[in-house]
Parts: sequence; structure tokens; C-alpha cells
Amino acid sequence: MNSGMTIIVKTVTRITVWMILLYGIYIILHGHLTPGGGFAGGVVLALALLNVLLAYGRSYTFQWLRLPWLEHVESASALLYLVVGLLGILWGGTFFYNFISKGSLYHLLSAGTLPILNIIIGLKVALSLFLVVWVLAEARTSKGDAA
Amino acid sequence: MTLYLLCFALFLVGLYGVIAKRDLIKIILSMGILGYAVNLFLVLVGYRQGGHYPILEGQNPVPVMVDPLPQALVLTSIVIELGSTAMVVALAIRLFQKYQTFDISKIRRLRG
Repeated sequence: MNSGMTIIVKTVTRITVWMILLYGIYIILHGHLTPGGGFAGGVVLALALLNVLLAYGRSYTFQWLRLPWLEHVESASALLYLVVGLLGILWGGTFFYNFISKGSLYHLLSAGTLPILNIIIGLKVALSLFLVVWVLAEARTSKGDAA
Repeated sequence: MTLYLLCFALFLVGLYGVIAKRDLIKIILSMGILGYAVNLFLVLVGYRQGGHYPILEGQNPVPVMVDPLPQALVLTSIVIELGSTAMVVALAIRLFQKYQTFDISKIRRLRG
């Protein structure tokens, strides 16, 4: 029962998951220019990973994503966010001071630390949402079924 | 006014699901609909007729903007709703492990 769904679902997932991931990355990277940002893009990324989990089953996804490593990234991203805030104290004097050059308005590489923070938030949201669903999927649903 | 009434109708749909349905999964979905109705109401409170989205474009400021504050707060509300939904789903899984059913009329044996 862990082998996943039919070959139709698997093929469609194999094609579309990269597009969904790309769309999520686009939303995260344009977070300081257009509506969206770290949270919205992170949710899109998490749904792409969730597609793989639904189509291919648990054991394949576990091998493909190397899950223990992802858990460490998820925990470290909160620390990274704090580090960016503390670097603001170091250079500007206040917490989360925007210490990088702001650049010109409406350009992709602008707004100082905001894109960096958006990327960190996106990583955190994507991985923690996926891990929540993962933990729920790991639960045993009947007495004889050892997940 | 019509928008507020439609929003209230959505709220009533969620309330009906929570009260009248027996399946735990349907109750959880109805709780989601309830939450969406409340979030929609909060965003509607900040809406201005013909308003622009509150992002500065070019040099001249936009005359009429929607209120960005409810939108920012609703984002927090959505995240909290996500957390509570995850907790409720975890409780539903535990109940299913105990009773092997999602029907709440059959989940009534008290045992440790």
C-alpha cells in the first residue's frame, strides 16, 4: 500500500512538480515587489512536495527528499532569521536594521535584507508545513498496520 | 451590503456543517469554511469601493486604497487556523486509532 498511485498520476506529478516548485520560488523571490512573499510561496512549495508524497507514497518520498536532513534545515532556518536580525544590530544599531544597500526601486535585487528574509521564511514555511503533513501521514490507522 | 450578506451565508454554511454533520472529516472541513468566512469578513471591513491595492506604483500616490491592516492581520489568522486544523486532524487520527470510525455517533465509549 506504500507504493503510491497509478502510473498516470505518477507521470503527471513528475512533470508538474517542477513547475509548481518554480512558481513557488518565483513568488518568494518577488516578495518585495508584488503581492505574495515568503509565506505564500512557501505554501506553494509545500504543496508541490505534498503532491510527490501523495503520488509516490511514503518510502519513495523519504528516500528522494532525505528527510532527516530536511528536518535540520527546517530547524536552522529559524536560527538564520535571528542571525539576520542580529547582524542588523551589529551594523545599524537596531534589530533587523536594513544594512545592505537598498538598490533602485522596483528592481529584483533591491530592498536590502528583505529578499533574504523572504527566502528564509519561505524555506521555513515550506518545510514545516510538509513535515506536519508527513507526521500526520506516519500515524498508524489500524491495529495491524505498522506504517 | 450584499457582500456582507454573502459572507454571512458562507459562515452559516460552515455552522450548519459543524452542527449537523456526523462525519469527523466533514466537521473539520466545516470548521475551515467557518474560518474562511471570518477571514473574508475581516478583509471586507477594510475594503473600499473601487480601491487600489496598497502598493506604491510610480511617483504619484494612488487616491483610494484598500486598508492594508486587516489583510496583514488576516495573514496571521490564516496561520493560526492552519495550526488549529493540524491539531484537530491529529485528534481525529487518534480517535480513528481508538474506534476505527469517523462517525461521531459511534464514538461514545469512555475508555482510557
